[in-house]
Amino acid sequence: MRWIHPLSGEAPPELIGGKAHGLIVLRRLGLSVPPGFVVGTAAGRAFHRYGRLPDGLGDELAAAVAELETATGRRLGGPERPLVVSVRSGAAVPMPGMMATILNLGLTAAATDGLARETGDRAFADDARRRFLAGFEEATAGQGAPDDAYRQLELAVAAVFASWDAPRARRYRELHDIPHDLGTAVVVQAMVFGNRDEHSAAGVAFSRDPTTGEPVPFGEVLFGHQGDDVVSGRSLTRPLRDLSGREPAAGAVLVEALNRLERHYRDASYVEFTVECGRLWLLQARPGRFAGPAAVRVATDLVDEGLIGRDEALLRVSPRHLGAAVRRIDAADLLARGTGASPGVASGRVATSSEAAVRMAAHGPVILVRPETSPLDLPGLAAAVGVLTARGGPASHAAIVARSMGRPAVVGVADLTVDNGRMYLGGRSIEDGTVITIDGTGGEVALGAVATVSVANDERRERLLAWADEVVDELADELAGPGEQRSDPDRLRAAQDVLRNASGDRFERP
Amino acid sequence: MSHSTPPELLVLHTLRCMGAASLPRVAAAAGLTPSDVESELIDLAVAGLTTTVPGEFGGWRLTDAGRVADAERIADELAAAGTRATVERAFEGFLVLNPELLDLCTAWQLRSVDGVVTANDHRDAAYDAKVLALFEDMDRRLDHVCADLSAAMRRFHRYRVRLADALQRARAGEREYLCDDLDSYHSVWFQLHEDLLATLGIPRR
Repeated sequence: MRWIHPLSGEAPPELIGGKAHGLIVLRRLGLSVPPGFVVGTAAGRAFHRYGRLPDGLGDELAAAVAELETATGRRLGGPERPLVVSVRSGAAVPMPGMMATILNLGLTAAATDGLARETGDRAFADDARRRFLAGFEEATAGQGAPDDAYRQLELAVAAVFASWDAPRARRYRELHDIPHDLGTAVVVQAMVFGNRDEHSAAGVAFSRDPTTGEPVPFGEVLFGHQGDDVVSGRSLTRPLRDLSGREPAAGAVLVEALNRLERHYRDASYVEFTVECGRLWLLQARPGRFAGPAAVRVATDLVDEGLIGRDEALLRVSPRHLGAAVRRIDAADLLARGTGASPGVASGRVATSSEAAVRMAAHGPVILVRPETSPLDLPGLAAAVGVLTARGGPASHAAIVARSMGRPAVVGVADLTVDNGRMYLGGRSIEDGTVITIDGTGGEVALGAVATVSVANDERRERLLAWADEVVDELADELAGPGEQRSDPDRLRAAQDVLRNASGDRFERP
Repeated sequence: MSHSTPPELLVLHTLRCMGAASLPRVAAAAGLTPSDVESELIDLAVAGLTTTVPGEFGGWRLTDAGRVADAERIADELAAAGTRATVERAFEGFLVLNPELLDLCTAWQLRSVDGVVTANDHRDAAYDAKVLALFEDMDRRLDHVCADLSAAMRRFHRYRVRLADALQRARAGEREYLCDDLDSYHSVWFQLHEDLLATLGIPRR
């Protein structure tokens, strides 16, 4: 095949995109990945040149679908045991959230009936079809989905290719120096449903805590939901440990997957997963790139674990991430979790209106709690030490204003409502004046004035800097000066310069 | 000649969209002299529509009655001008650009360094110049939205002036005028967003 590639083999990310490349790594490591294929970036570039899918792609799609039907024992659009697929973008360079994704494709009216009969769950099948129709319409700028599954697939592939050129995606590339002519690939895989039954879930996981670097799996899981609900923040997620509690087998497979990926990447790892009827499937993998104290801890721990050498550890930590310690809240019992949109920890009394925040701020710190913010909330925001909102993401008005004022902010707390001097959250009714604590780094919300812990990893940082000084002393022709008199970032930078010059960028990460 | 809003309603509605503000800021936003604005604010206060909140975070703001009165009067004004369809079309154009503006503000405040999102420390002049250029490009595409709005209702022209002013100041080196000042491009945009919702009588979601 010329345009379509299998989810196996040695094809580079430039050809099949980073997502497909990660899926091939997962399969090679013996981990469960839903079967599928990838329409390569060459087809994407051809789409942009000619404004339509290239000649020959149609035949290849038909052949690839036939193969997938054989592998799964299902038929696309079939009235019995229908094949339902996801259609996702995947460029060589990650562009998170910038391009189109279509889930549950293939659910024609007849296929939906088939899925309902197969699962014995009409509501599930109807919900899956409703999500498909809405997603298809969004991705195709208002076009309705035809009731022909194969035609749906062609249109969806074209829509993903077209989304590469959406203004938002173009701007993202301009900001991040990604060439416009790279193009995206399209990954087509058999669907696994995180909303299938009570033993189903979707989530994301890091092999280590991305704030502290501590070697314990960290992430979020959402039972009975599809993966897009986890990322969108529309629903309240649970900490990852709940997965092992409710689905121990899937939890164990996940931990093993994270470990295998760590050994493969020789770095912390990150995955997106779905559990369907108790079985864990991996949908995406990449190295987990950490900042600040976590980056220092992971680099030094990996040396102790024998996965990388000292030189590589030095090159893994950005001098800019050496700086300040991060403060985190130390609460076992969280009230809720949202999206951290402006870093820092703040404790204060709840004020559910801008007026109340201004009034109450005269008598001590307040946290402004709003469904979302409007300009009317600006005085309250200025008066508050932190802000908590039900809606919005990191690029919402509330987040932008909070960052501009240096106020910690947690946004997108799904089940938060505000009414008449009270907030309702986590099944509790909380009156104005009640003290809460928010963590704008991790997005956590806790009741009371919770203690904070400083995550500095000071000892490990000193070790890393001692290695840096050694490298400079051993290898540098001329010393930049005694280590003690230079700043910490400069000590690390000097070592990195020496290593990069010595190696001809041998250690540069991909 | 598009509809011109009388000073009393202009002051009331400007304050409605700003949330709370000092007299000079209301005057600058409305394009009136501070003394004219002051006498309007006092008249409005006598009518129970505006009030002042003391203290560091205080200033002029609308009372609940003021918000009700503003909603009625601004709806009447739009009906009298007969330009609802134009404002609706402009609002659609605005909503297309709104996510772009939010992305650009985020890119100005945060950036990806070595694969990790951190605060933009503004030490990379080339990056900042790139973000500023994208603001300018987006601002040019806002022109037709602003032209429609100004044609529908003259008071909307103030947003074009204020946005251009904020961008000009940012270009001249006052970086906080992009997203980090009370009169930044983002703040004015945020008020325009609020104004369009208020004018069309659309609740925030």
